[in-house]
Amino acid sequence: MAAMAMTTSGGPLLVAALLLPLGAMWLAFVLGRAYAPRVVAYALPVGVLLALAIIADLLCSGDALVYLLGAWTPPLGIALRADGLSAAMLLTTTVVLSTVAWFAWADFSQAAEAPEARQPLMFWVLLPAVWVALNTVFLANDLFTLYVALELLTFAAVPLVCLEGHPETLRAALRYLLFALLGSVLYLLGAVLLYGAYGTLDIAQLGAQVHPDIATWAAAVLMTVGLLAKTALFPLHLWLPPAHAGAPAAASAMLSALVVKGSFFLVVRLWLDVLPGAMLLEAGQWLAALGAAAILVGNVVALRQRRLKLLIAYSTVAQIGYLFLMFPLAAGLAGMGLPDTPAVTGGLLQAVSHATAKAAMFMAAGLIYSALGHDRIDDLQGVAQQLPMTVMAFALGGIALVGLPPSGGFMAKWLLLSAALTTGQWWWAAVMVIGGLMTASYVFSIVVRTIVAVDPEKMPKMVVPRYREASVLALAAFSFLLGCVALLPVEIVQVGRLSGVMP
Amino acid sequence: MNLTPVWLVATVLLPLLMLLACCVRPWRARMLPWLALGPLPGLLVALFATRDALYVFGNARLPLAFAVDRPGAALLGVASLLWLAGGWYAAAYQAETPARGRFAVCWLMTMTGCLGVFVVADMVTLYGLLGLLTVGTTGLVMQEGTPRAQRAGKIYLSMALLAESLLLAGFVLIVSSAPGNTLLIVDAPAAIVASPWRDAILCLLIAGFGIKAGLVPLHFWIPLAHGAAPVPASAMLSGAVVKASVIGLIRFMPLEHSPWLAGALLAGIGLFGALYAVLVGMTQRHPKTVLAYSSVSQMGVIVALIGMGMASGEGSAGVIAAYYAVNHVLSKGALFMAVGVVADTGRRRLWTVLLPAAVLAVGLGGLPLSGGALTKAVAKSLFGDGLAGTLATLSAIGTTVLMVHFLRCLKTFAATGPDDCAERGLRWPWLAMASASLIVPWALYLMSPRNSLPDALSPYALWAALWPIVIGVVLSWALLRWKRKLPQLPEGDVVVGLSALGSRVSEWAAGLGQGLDAALRQWAIGGSALLVLIGIFAWGLRTLL
Repeated sequence: MAAMAMTTSGGPLLVAALLLPLGAMWLAFVLGRAYAPRVVAYALPVGVLLALAIIADLLCSGDALVYLLGAWTPPLGIALRADGLSAAMLLTTTVVLSTVAWFAWADFSQAAEAPEARQPLMFWVLLPAVWVALNTVFLANDLFTLYVALELLTFAAVPLVCLEGHPETLRAALRYLLFALLGSVLYLLGAVLLYGAYGTLDIAQLGAQVHPDIATWAAAVLMTVGLLAKTALFPLHLWLPPAHAGAPAAASAMLSALVVKGSFFLVVRLWLDVLPGAMLLEAGQWLAALGAAAILVGNVVALRQRRLKLLIAYSTVAQIGYLFLMFPLAAGLAGMGLPDTPAVTGGLLQAVSHATAKAAMFMAAGLIYSALGHDRIDDLQGVAQQLPMTVMAFALGGIALVGLPPSGGFMAKWLLLSAALTTGQWWWAAVMVIGGLMTASYVFSIVVRTIVAVDPEKMPKMVVPRYREASVLALAAFSFLLGCVALLPVEIVQVGRLSGVMP
Repeated sequence: MNLTPVWLVATVLLPLLMLLACCVRPWRARMLPWLALGPLPGLLVALFATRDALYVFGNARLPLAFAVDRPGAALLGVASLLWLAGGWYAAAYQAETPARGRFAVCWLMTMTGCLGVFVVADMVTLYGLLGLLTVGTTGLVMQEGTPRAQRAGKIYLSMALLAESLLLAGFVLIVSSAPGNTLLIVDAPAAIVASPWRDAILCLLIAGFGIKAGLVPLHFWIPLAHGAAPVPASAMLSGAVVKASVIGLIRFMPLEHSPWLAGALLAGIGLFGALYAVLVGMTQRHPKTVLAYSSVSQMGVIVALIGMGMASGEGSAGVIAAYYAVNHVLSKGALFMAVGVVADTGRRRLWTVLLPAAVLAVGLGGLPLSGGALTKAVAKSLFGDGLAGTLATLSAIGTTVLMVHFLRCLKTFAATGPDDCAERGLRWPWLAMASASLIVPWALYLMSPRNSLPDALSPYALWAALWPIVIGVVLSWALLRWKRKLPQLPEGDVVVGLSALGSRVSEWAAGLGQGLDAALRQWAIGGSALLVLIGIFAWGLRTLL
């Protein structure tokens, strides 16, 4: 393909996007103790600027950024490629990680004189590890590098689950590891089958060459199911609630918001760029059916939870279901000869909105836990009096999940609803509406419980540093106002896409 | 220079800025006296803005469009008056409560949403403002914090969110079938008529706006919310908040080209609700609940007017329904304020409140020379002389009976000390609203070139307004002798059955969900699920074979 023949002018930015977090991780480990948080704290804003530079280059040139490692073209060499979807996810990752780092500063900082402790050091090493793994997932353009990235993501995320070292969290982390490894093995099997059939692992070349045959079929099945196991789509979600609820708040925020989006991004790459779109309508219905089951069961079980963090984790299970609704809609639009932009933009906006809102909610729950000493929902009375910014952040994040304007969740819902009704798949529209009502139900009941006034004398004074509340509120406000991005005259999703309308 | 766009944007922006100012705790505690200033831009829009001029501030995907039409201007004007008087009243009523900061926040949220709905011209911003309105009203209903208030708030929020979900589906369908996928409301009726999903859109919009307007049988949230909310909040809820759905129906329903069945059904449901609510209202004791049922009844009549317009293709039905609603906004708001004033007034001075209240209350039934009589006369032209006309007259009689019942309940609500007098901050807004509800309908009537003073004062017009009142008063006197035999219906009538059904269904669903989740959390099941999924996708992806 001509577009892949050479590195574009913005290509080195992609290398920087990989080297920066990698360097930060290595430096943090080597310098240790008091310097690790500072290394990460300096690297993250640079990462945000880098992501913005990539987006700017993308919009100016109107085409994807490409970098060929060693100037060797695929299939011999490895290419890094950033299209609109990658760039948006890069920016989301850096923004969420910056806020998490700001939030976690108090929990995981260590004085220079104190003996080096495992927990703080590993947190500041694993944060850039998750970052580099995600960046590789978003930027790599061949299946094997993506496999490496997936494994790196798993091995960075699993220790985050059991960071505190309690027995239950160790058990949850091992479950997560086993399920994730099963998923990786299936993915690798599928990648190997594709290599055997087509002789290339490069996504662009596969997308051009792939045709229906038994190897493609087997690879598609295995890779999809493997990635579903890593994304915790119903019914493979069993590892997610204990893992995300057991981790410390900052780690839960990273896991729920970003780590599951990595494997979801790969499903999107696979289905939109590698496999032929219009043939996927029936399989897309199955994906969305699982998504609908996730939405319904996840929300119902979330409503019944007694602990705040478990409720938010089950809410993640439900919200992951929304992400998979985009597949039959994109396939349906492609089948009707229409551009699948509404469905893809809706899915992307849902992913970004969920990432920011869920991170804010987990961090707010973490603040409540550190102030109260517990997170029992029944005993949350009076929290709003003492921690108004935290409750406000939780409410704004919840509103973004429910999908009220001007949040990104609303824009995503609108786009997916229009795609569903245009392609005549009204049943997915009904599922989205019902899911929104159920989400509103538990968000509202928690916020109301915190607002109940309690005699100030009977409540212990809750002391939480202002800057932590400010960080959570900033992220929640960002997710609440995300819908205003529609006011920008840009359509980022279509930039650099390998395949759009099927002729 | 034409200041219309400035006033249109300020109608939403001023309350929104006041709301943002409440983020600062010391300002929030002192926001109460300033609440009355929020609706001033709305009043200016109603008086001076250019009608039907469209201003778009965004792009195609998020238009942020503003415009105001004739019905919208009329309703915005009286709603602004009510918010002004209500803010003044609330400042006195809530001055001593500890949670007045929270009250101010919820009041401002409701005000932004309520006034904004009348001036926005695109569906996305409308949906956002309806959401803000819902959250604010829920906060107002739950203000007192009692279990009753929490229950009422929960039920209100569920119904409002359900209504908004239906509206969202309707809006998405309209936009999908509109030429160029335009989000503007002015293009909506034409898009509905031409759409292949016309019937589905009409059902969704009627259901959504109907729930928010309190159409029977989904009206039960209104009595519950009014019973639990403090008096100023009830006044705004009945007076202004439910009118958002009226303006929604007027703007979205294609009056001239819709199927006859849709209009007939709407009119039928509305008139049924009007009569049903009167009957149930008779069994209630608390004056606020009686007024709430009267609101349900009057909203039924307004919706029926729109339905009659759709059925007969009469384009002016929107203006007529808006005019009817104008009278209701003012009278009902004033009557709710009277309830608060009476609660503080002793027997000696009670007549100073009861007399104007009686004029307003019976005015709702159509007392000659009141605003109610004018609006009923105008509405008569739309109802005609057939079944609809008869039902409308019956509803007027029923309203009179209900209002006499209300006055009797109000009398029992008076303060115990014979010389007690309500404070100025409560009395003056109440008297201002009472005068407005007598003056404004006349002013609007005389402003239209088709109407003239001699017509309104003719003996025929006066008699036509008087005889339903006379029959109503006679009936209520008869009912008085018969009082012991009336059943005691719970507040919110059908909600008791519905919530029992609702909790049964949610228990079943929760049990199913949790059982499924618990089963899947076992390793053996989870692992087998992986294999089952491989099988499912092997089948689903067979087109790739």
